Amino acid sequence: MDETVVIVGAGTTGVSAAQTLRQEGYTGRIVLIGAESVPPYERPPLSKEFLHDDNRDVATIVLKDQQWYDEHGIEVRLGRTVTAIDPARHCVQLDDGSRLTYRQLLIATGGRPRRIPGVEGQRVHYLRDAHDAERLGAALTPRSHLIVLGGGFIGCEVAATARRRGARVTVIEREPAPLARVLGADIGSAIARVHRDKGVDFRVGSDTSELSVTTQGVSVTLSSGESIDGTELLVAIGMVPNDELASAAGITVDNGIVVDDACQTSAPDVYAAGDVAVHAHPLFDRLPLRVEQYDNAVRQGAAAARAMLGDHSAYDDPHWFWSDQYEHSLQCIGIPTGHDQVVLRGSTDDNAFTAFYLRRGAIRAAVSLNRGKDVLMARTLISVGTPVDLHALADESVPVNRVAPRTRTPSPASEAPSPPPGMAVGAGRPMIRCRVRAGG
Amino acid sequence: MTSETGTTSWQVALDADELWEDEMTGVTIGDTAILLVNQGGEVRAFEDRCAHQEWALSDGVLEDGTITCVRHSWQFDAETGAGQNPTGCQLRTFGCKVQDGVIYVDAPDE
Repeated sequence: MDETVVIVGAGTTGVSAAQTLRQEGYTGRIVLIGAESVPPYERPPLSKEFLHDDNRDVATIVLKDQQWYDEHGIEVRLGRTVTAIDPARHCVQLDDGSRLTYRQLLIATGGRPRRIPGVEGQRVHYLRDAHDAERLGAALTPRSHLIVLGGGFIGCEVAATARRRGARVTVIEREPAPLARVLGADIGSAIARVHRDKGVDFRVGSDTSELSVTTQGVSVTLSSGESIDGTELLVAIGMVPNDELASAAGITVDNGIVVDDACQTSAPDVYAAGDVAVHAHPLFDRLPLRVEQYDNAVRQGAAAARAMLGDHSAYDDPHWFWSDQYEHSLQCIGIPTGHDQVVLRGSTDDNAFTAFYLRRGAIRAAVSLNRGKDVLMARTLISVGTPVDLHALADESVPVNRVAPRTRTPSPASEAPSPPPGMAVGAGRPMIRCRVRAGG
Repeated sequence: MTSETGTTSWQVALDADELWEDEMTGVTIGDTAILLVNQGGEVRAFEDRCAHQEWALSDGVLEDGTITCVRHSWQFDAETGAGQNPTGCQLRTFGCKVQDGVIYVDAPDE
């Protein structure tokens, strides 16, 4: 069989997989197929710096330069789509009529914005790719009034950038607080307050009953009867996974392509990862999760590559994401669900806090605003699942990586008797200071 | 090691006792933000600026020989300053020595 790995989708996931294949010593052919005509680029800046900057040059956000693809022997086919997968014959059909035979296939086709039928036109925006961001950014001026439908991450980040560009902004969110389904009402309300402090008219608990779009502007009528007129409309009501290609090939899909712990789909030698893949996370009650985040795209793409090379260890990294809005850094690790306790560091009133979500005394997730270090340090604790000292956890003066027994002993001096099972201890730092030597 | 002008310019950075093993901290020398890293007893100096969006790395985490930026989790080798995730980037490094309990860094003093 042809020693070729074909990667469908040239986004963060696909590039991460290609890079990992080479790092792990794979020497066969790699073909990366992307529907967009520009080289693979980072999507997070599309709602932030890229959107804000006037030049909006994709070259500034590319994942790798051309030289990297050349040096690593990765064939990149841009502006091409795969029209069909034939798992039985191990081949894919391209829109230029050509066929490619694969030994292994990775589907990393991502997703597309959920659209409202009929809501289109010059004044209407969706945001997924660089072209969308170029068009939206150019429309955001001090004379514009942007109405954002949906207070999710895209809606909130674009609202922040639009304010930075001087535009008037109204956000309309159906839930009682933005991001509430992911982060809960308390943190969602803190985010809404951040936006209101920056001059955003943030409407929560507001349903839209009518949308009217003309060439001059948009008009949104709320269920309360109130009407809001704007110059631009951003529809940011979620993403739809691009799983049709897999579905048509008989591969199991369920709101995304269903994969096992090692990123394998229901078809032999066909893998999926990134925004399009649904996996049952081992650390989070095996909930079916489809994660639309950058870090997952990198890590799951790498995990799929390792699985292709025979390493079938479970992909069980706790999911992590950030969202930069204005000068604020919102971060989350793990899934804030299935907990029996929440411990708060700092206060949601002063825009510097971390909420830890615990079950049976062990941290399962952490959400922070402007305390990203807590989230970084929580990663190991979530993976290990060790119970922590709740008092230390709530104490801002204790680094988060000191709230549980250390998994490795830094020096013999810090060794202590093991605590009784189930009892949490604060490990503290080693009591002996280590003198330093001159280094490199 | 010498500075970019070709001459060595050792500046007092910190008391060695202030930087514990496997910890890092930020200091300012002249106009330069310096990250001092004590990795397994060896002290090294890098520019305190992430290769991604220039956030201070001293706000991040040093763990298992890796420096992680607090904003977007870019990661660097604590011994070399080389990018680990993503690869292909490099922190600016400075000469560094410990003498009589004081950490010196070869950095411009203005």
